[in-house]
Amino acid sequence: MRIRKIIGALLLAVCTAEAWGQTVIHDTIYIMEPQIKQAVTARMVGFGHSNILDTYLSPEKYTGPEVKYISHTTYRKTGRQMSTQIINQGSFAYTDNRSGNGREMAGAYNFGYGRHYNWDLRGGDINIKAGLMAEMMLGFIYNTRNSNNPAQARANFCLSPNASAQYKFSLHNRLYILRYELNIPLIGLMFSPNYGQSYYEIFSRGNYDHNIVVTWPGNAPSMRQMLTVDFKLGRRTFRIGYLGDFQQARVNQLKQHVYSNAIVLGMVL
Amino acid sequence: MRKLRKILGLALCTLLPFVSSCVDEEQYADNPKGNFEALWHIIDEHYSFFDYKAEQYGLDWDDVYRRFSRQISDDMTEAQLFEVLGNMLKELRDGHVNLYSSFDIARNWSFHEDYPSNISDSLINKYLGTDYKIAGGMKYRVLDDNIGYLRCASFQHEFGNSSITNILNEFLACNALIIDIRDNSGGMLTSAEELAAHFTNEKLLVGYMQHKTGKGHCDFSAMEKQWLKPAKGLRWQKKVVVLTNRQVYSAANEFVKYMKCCGAIIVGDQTGGGAGMPFSSELPNGWGVRFSACPMYDHQKQSTEFGIAPDYKIDMTSADFYRGIDTIIEKGRKVAVGK
Repeated sequence: MRIRKIIGALLLAVCTAEAWGQTVIHDTIYIMEPQIKQAVTARMVGFGHSNILDTYLSPEKYTGPEVKYISHTTYRKTGRQMSTQIINQGSFAYTDNRSGNGREMAGAYNFGYGRHYNWDLRGGDINIKAGLMAEMMLGFIYNTRNSNNPAQARANFCLSPNASAQYKFSLHNRLYILRYELNIPLIGLMFSPNYGQSYYEIFSRGNYDHNIVVTWPGNAPSMRQMLTVDFKLGRRTFRIGYLGDFQQARVNQLKQHVYSNAIVLGMVL
Repeated sequence: MRKLRKILGLALCTLLPFVSSCVDEEQYADNPKGNFEALWHIIDEHYSFFDYKAEQYGLDWDDVYRRFSRQISDDMTEAQLFEVLGNMLKELRDGHVNLYSSFDIARNWSFHEDYPSNISDSLINKYLGTDYKIAGGMKYRVLDDNIGYLRCASFQHEFGNSSITNILNEFLACNALIIDIRDNSGGMLTSAEELAAHFTNEKLLVGYMQHKTGKGHCDFSAMEKQWLKPAKGLRWQKKVVVLTNRQVYSAANEFVKYMKCCGAIIVGDQTGGGAGMPFSSELPNGWGVRFSACPMYDHQKQSTEFGIAPDYKIDMTSADFYRGIDTIIEKGRKVAVGK
């Protein structure tokens, strides 16, 4: 009899605890239910042509092949209008002058973090987003034949309005996504030696002279645009497209441009 | 949609400056006229001693254009063009100014070619003997009158603080030190500073440096002070003599400038100068150009472009040479012991 009472009390306790537990769990689910975060990452390699001018190094333009690696990720939670975009990009160009007896090598790493507002139209087949990217670039241009001005360090930070539009469509029972993205640096800071200033003065002597310059489209009219098509092949989604990256600066009476046109190929994960 | 329209409008406004302004540079044609124009403009916009040389010997770069542009014609050969452009650059009377082609280097080395060489390798070898030591690329030994002799022929490489300390350690018991930098035509300013830093116990103002801030002949930054900080290793506390000739140039000229501030006595001939740190550029046909870009001054803000006068001006004599005596080293030894 006593045992039955004890078992009854234990059962009641367990049931109560379970009922309380369910309530808690249910409540937690109700409050904390995570929105499904969609992450779309495209990893691409680019092959293209680069045109480099840096009057600190030479008044001549250098042209030649360029390779790139781009990682382009978008995060967006289901039902949310805001999304996050992260871009990592590395590039290397090996270029010649027009007489063919001089070389310039240019390398750069770009990191961009942006937040966008999304508009989904026609049931989500069309997506337009616009927002702001914070971008950072570190790089160099090295001229193989110069003496005390052999290289130009490239470093800048900027805020860039960024917009993209993508359109999902099917053709011959295949789904395609056509995407165009435009990025235009609006305001930022960049490093530059002064017109005839040597790196010896800056780094050995610590003589700084307008070496951090505010940039805006008037003195650094730059843009990056990318047009791509995503398509499925087997179970995988591939991306192919064009990347045009046009970086320019006119600061401290020095002119610099790095124009790059590349075909990009990659995989969407 | 209204929000979207606003954003698109803003994007268009941002695009406008881009569309209207490509950052580009005029490319001169790759022909005699184009290469002449490119060279004249590179020097006109970047060279750092126009005003100083106008004062010193009446250099007029516009007049140089008038005189030399007449010598350019479309049918001239590469060699003829090189000769004319080289002659134009010679007007600058600057050892840091060169034109480089695959077949020649145009230069004006009158800073040492017009003067006695005041050096003999054979005699230096005689003084060094065969049992000298080498550290940091420099040769050194103690001479028989207990004076340390250090032969520093170049500033092309870093010496290393420990190498200089070891050299000075070898000379600890010496009465004085002679640093022979004759025919040292320069190299890295940092190497010149590295060596000179072992001859001061305190931070010294040794000169000034500036750079161009624009294309105009007078567009310069403020003169920034050049400080020489004492080295962390062993520092020389006794008398030091620096031997010079006309081929002491560029970074070696700077070394003499620093050493004068450290109390060194300069013996020999005037230095060659070369007080402008050179930059490089190029012509449409690929010929390289080098020119003085960042002028440097002594601690009294005087240019050392045409050299630094010695405390004891002395030339090597033929009579001494034939007797196996280096007149300048011997004078240095006398000065070092106060004779």
